[in-house]
Amino acid sequence: MSAAQIRFFALVRREVNRFMKIKRQTVGAPLLETFLYISVFGAALGTRIDKLHGVDYVVFIIPGLIMMAWAMNAFSNNASSILQQKFQGAIQDQLSSPASPRQLLLAFSLGGFLRGMLVATLTFVAASFLVDVPVEHVLVLIPSLFLVGFFFAQLGVLIGVRAEQFDDVSFAQTFVLQPLIFLGGVFYSASLLPEPFQTLTHFDPVYYMIGLVRYGFLDYSDTNVALSLLLLTAATAALFAVNLRLFLRGYKLRA
Amino acid sequence: MALQITDLVKRYPTGTEALRGVSLDIAEGEFFGLLGPNGAGKSTLIHCTTGLAQPTSGSIRVFGHDAIHDYEQARLAVGLAPQDLNLDWFLTVEESLDYHGGYFGMPRRERRERAKELLEVFSLTEKRDDRTRTLSGGMKRRLILARALMHRPRLLILDEPTAGVDVELRLELWHYVQRINAEGTTILLTTHYLEEAEQLCDRIAFINHGDIVAQGTSADLAAEYGVSSLEDAYLELVGRKELSRAHVGADAA
Repeated sequence: MSAAQIRFFALVRREVNRFMKIKRQTVGAPLLETFLYISVFGAALGTRIDKLHGVDYVVFIIPGLIMMAWAMNAFSNNASSILQQKFQGAIQDQLSSPASPRQLLLAFSLGGFLRGMLVATLTFVAASFLVDVPVEHVLVLIPSLFLVGFFFAQLGVLIGVRAEQFDDVSFAQTFVLQPLIFLGGVFYSASLLPEPFQTLTHFDPVYYMIGLVRYGFLDYSDTNVALSLLLLTAATAALFAVNLRLFLRGYKLRA
Repeated sequence: MALQITDLVKRYPTGTEALRGVSLDIAEGEFFGLLGPNGAGKSTLIHCTTGLAQPTSGSIRVFGHDAIHDYEQARLAVGLAPQDLNLDWFLTVEESLDYHGGYFGMPRRERRERAKELLEVFSLTEKRDDRTRTLSGGMKRRLILARALMHRPRLLILDEPTAGVDVELRLELWHYVQRINAEGTTILLTTHYLEEAEQLCDRIAFINHGDIVAQGTSADLAAEYGVSSLEDAYLELVGRKELSRAHVGADAA
């Protein structure tokens, strides 16, 4: 391995090490949360709900739950990790190292991305034991989930860098992300909504993400798959560009 | 030249000018002291050198490498033991050294050997698997120094390394840094302990209000201010000569 590869690997290892050391909170809790959603919405309420677009309600919501697990974990991991390191001053060890801004950004991003991937994979495995989860379009599903994970990992980095207190992170999570994710159609099909909510949903970027992931699993989507994939790719690239610019400037990281 | 700083200006967005055109040369192998009151610009100068702050203008060269444009090579040559105990709470003692070595591109085997050696030198071997947050203040200070030395820097920057440590540890640290200086490592030390600077440093610079106002040996500085000791020269610098032991002694008599 070259010195640059060793450096990058060490930066990523640090991020993974952090969340694995508190895995009850970072992996166990989100898994339990998803299990509770499946139990309550799927098994309990779901038995009283008709099939949605030809699939059982519990199966219909699983793609959204898997995506939500990846998104929320990618976001909260990166936002918390960066803010904690800023508070402790420990981030100075990385910042004063020869690591480039690009390496730092990618390493911080990958921490949350990998945690999200782990929780989402475990959620999928656990859900597969409970119900039969189809995977209809794996070639759409994998890139879509990777893009969603990377998008929210970038968002976590952005909020973590900008944040000055933990309240800033929880505000973004509770008042922005959670409503967007819930109202994007995790638990329902947007086509069932009355107007104007159906139209309003189209302004929620998460709606297109859920559409993609649901198409990958179930072969059903409320959205145009190609257009959604294009929009998601563009949004992820734009967010990465914004973060890279901030890292190159040292915004709120270097005095 | 180990460190060559030319016309360095650092102005914060608030308008505060922490450094106002600082120029400073530190030769290879030198033990150099930077003295000044709180807020004089010592830490800002160090932060600009190590990439933790971005200079507004001026240049910094570390062993000939520009600290801004050739930061990779410049930072490889520098080890920083900061004033604050900025250890990562999630890591163990050994991991702190291992990750730091990784950030500086050291291969695994080399990291292991170097970490083992430093844990031994700084009497931290028994604590190698303990989380850093459980360490005592003195142990944290030792670990900070070990971490700074992990990648074998040619320039070691010690920002108030003995602040708040007991006499025994202070002497231990002095012996260690004198030894590595004798082995060829250039050292830049900031401290509030004048006897520390006097005992360890070949040359000393006084910094105040973001400017280097005087530099030379301890005797040069005393001569420049027309006093008999480094302490008195320092008191002249900060405008508190009434606190001089000579005055206090004379008043008491």
